[in-house]
Amino acid sequence: MPAIIQVRLSGFGGQGIVLAGILLGEAGVIEGKYVAGSNSYGAQARGSNCKSEIVFSDGPIDFPHLTKADILLAMSQGAYNLYCEDVKEGSGLILFDQGQVMPREGLHLIEIGVPATEYALKRLKNRQVANIVLLGAFIEITKIVSRKAMEKAIRVHVAERFRSLNLKALQIGIELGRRVHG
Amino acid sequence: MRSTGLKTTFPKGLHYLSGNEAAAEGAIAAGCRFYAGYPITPSSEIMERMALRLSELRGVFIQMEDEISSICAVIGASWAGAKAMTATSGPGFSLMQESIGYAAFTETPCVIIDVQRAGPCTGQATKVGSGDIMQARWGSHGDYQVIALSPWSVQEMYDLTLRAFNLSERYRVPAMVMADEAVGHLRETIRIPEKIEIWDRKKEKGGAPFGTDEEDGVPPMPAFGEGERLLVTGSTHDAFGFRRTDDPEAHAKLVERINQKILKSTRVIVETEDYFLEDSDTALIAYGFTARTSLYVVKRLRKEGARVGLLRLKTLWPFPEEAVAELGRRVKRIFVPEMNQGQVAGEVKKYARCDVISLGQTNGEVIQPGTILEALTKI
Repeated sequence: MPAIIQVRLSGFGGQGIVLAGILLGEAGVIEGKYVAGSNSYGAQARGSNCKSEIVFSDGPIDFPHLTKADILLAMSQGAYNLYCEDVKEGSGLILFDQGQVMPREGLHLIEIGVPATEYALKRLKNRQVANIVLLGAFIEITKIVSRKAMEKAIRVHVAERFRSLNLKALQIGIELGRRVHG
Repeated sequence: MRSTGLKTTFPKGLHYLSGNEAAAEGAIAAGCRFYAGYPITPSSEIMERMALRLSELRGVFIQMEDEISSICAVIGASWAGAKAMTATSGPGFSLMQESIGYAAFTETPCVIIDVQRAGPCTGQATKVGSGDIMQARWGSHGDYQVIALSPWSVQEMYDLTLRAFNLSERYRVPAMVMADEAVGHLRETIRIPEKIEIWDRKKEKGGAPFGTDEEDGVPPMPAFGEGERLLVTGSTHDAFGFRRTDDPEAHAKLVERINQKILKSTRVIVETEDYFLEDSDTALIAYGFTARTSLYVVKRLRKEGARVGLLRLKTLWPFPEEAVAELGRRVKRIFVPEMNQGQVAGEVKKYARCDVISLGQTNGEVIQPGTILEALTKI
C-alpha cells in the first residue's frame, strides 16, 4: 500500500456523503492512521453535488486536501460525471452505486458497481442507509479500515436510535462487497 | 450536534475532530467557562460545541443579539473572574473592534477566535480567506498591542486556543486565534495531551489593578465581588483606575506600558518554525492553512534538489520581526503566499532586506500546491 491514499466520496446532498466521510475518517483514526478530511460546506452539501474527501497516511500529512483521488465512491450520476476523470489512471478504483449511476466506458482504471441503494431499499426499506451499504462494500473490497473500526466509528457518530439500522446496513454492504469483488 | 456525555474536559488520546470542535475543546481545557457569541459562518461550530459543552460543565453560554454585545459580555465576564471567549468571522470581527480596543486599554484577558472567510464585507460567507490579519493588529483606534496566533492544523486549533488563553491571562491582553475556514472545517487526527500548562491572571490583595513596577509590566487583576475597590474605564486612568483624561504624563505612562508589556515579551510570545532553511537561497514565509501547502511544495522541490525552505509563523502579532530579519539576511528571496492581497508580505518587506515577492490570492479558495510551484519555478 502506498503511504498516502486519497479517497473521494460523492453524491448529492442528503445521501449521507458527509457522514460517510466522517465515519471513514474516524475509523482511520481508531486504527492509528493519520487522517485528514474535508467536505462540501454550505449550500452544496444540501441538495446539489456533494463530496467528502479523506486522505489516509502512515505519517503526518502536509497538504491535507485531496490532490488526485486513488478511490472514488459515486452515489449519483452528477457526481460520477463530475469526478470520474479525476481518479488516478491505472491504479485508480471507482465504486459506483449500481442502479443510480451508469459508468462511463474507456476509463483506464477499475470500476465496480455496488447496488447500494437497491439493497438498502430491498433489505432495510430505507434508502437513507445506502451510504453505509456502499461504505461496507468499500471497506470489504479495499480493506482500507477494518470492520471493527468502522463499527466503532458508527457507535461514536450515529445517534443511538439509528445505530442498529446503520450496523445492519454495514453488514449488508460487506456481504455485497464480498459478492461483487469475489 | 450530539452530546458528548462528558462532565469533564475532553479525554486524552487520539480523536477525529474538526478544527472548530478542537478549538472549543482547547478553550475548555484552558479553563474557559464563559462563552458569549453570535453565530456566523464559518465559525458557528465553535459556538455550537461551546453551547453543548458548557451546559455539560455547568459553565455559562449566552447567544447575544450581535457581535458588539458578544465581546462586551466576554469583557464583563472576564472582570467577574471568568476565563471568557467568543468566536466569529470577518463581519463579526469588524463589529468587535471598538471593544477589543477597550479590552486592550483596560487590560482585560479574553480570547477571540476569528475563523476567517473571504471578505471584504459579507464577501463569500462559506469560502476561505485570511484577510483579517491587519485588522487583528490595527482594527481599533489608538496605540495598543494584541496577541494573534495562527493555527495550521486541527491539533493547533486546540493547542493555540489553549495558548491564547494562557497568554491572555499572563499578559492581561486580548488574544486572538486567527484561524481560517479551511482549518476550521478540516477534520484531522488530534492528540489531546496528558498534561497541559495553565496560566491564571495574578492576584494581589490591595494591589493596583492598572499599574505596576514589576519588570513584566503586568499588574494584578482583581474580580468584581472579591472585596477590592475596582473601577474599570476605557478612558485614561491611573494605577487604581481613576480617570486622568487631561494629564499628559498619565496618558504617556499607560499607553507606553500596555504596549511595552507585550513588546518586551516577544521572546516568550513569538513562535516560528523553520523547515529546510539551513542551506536555502529561496524561502517561503507562510501561516495558517497556506503553510501546509507551502511545506508540501518545499518538500517536493527539495526532492528535485532545489534549495528552498519554509519559515512558518505560528504567531502573527507581535510580528516575528527578528526571525524574518534574520532570514532576510540569509536568503536571496522570500515568497509570501497568503489568502489576501499581501498583508503579511508587507510586514515581511519591512524587516527582510532581500527580494520579497507576494503571492496573494483572493478568490475564496485555498492556495493549491501547483500555484506556489508555478511561481517558484519561474525563478
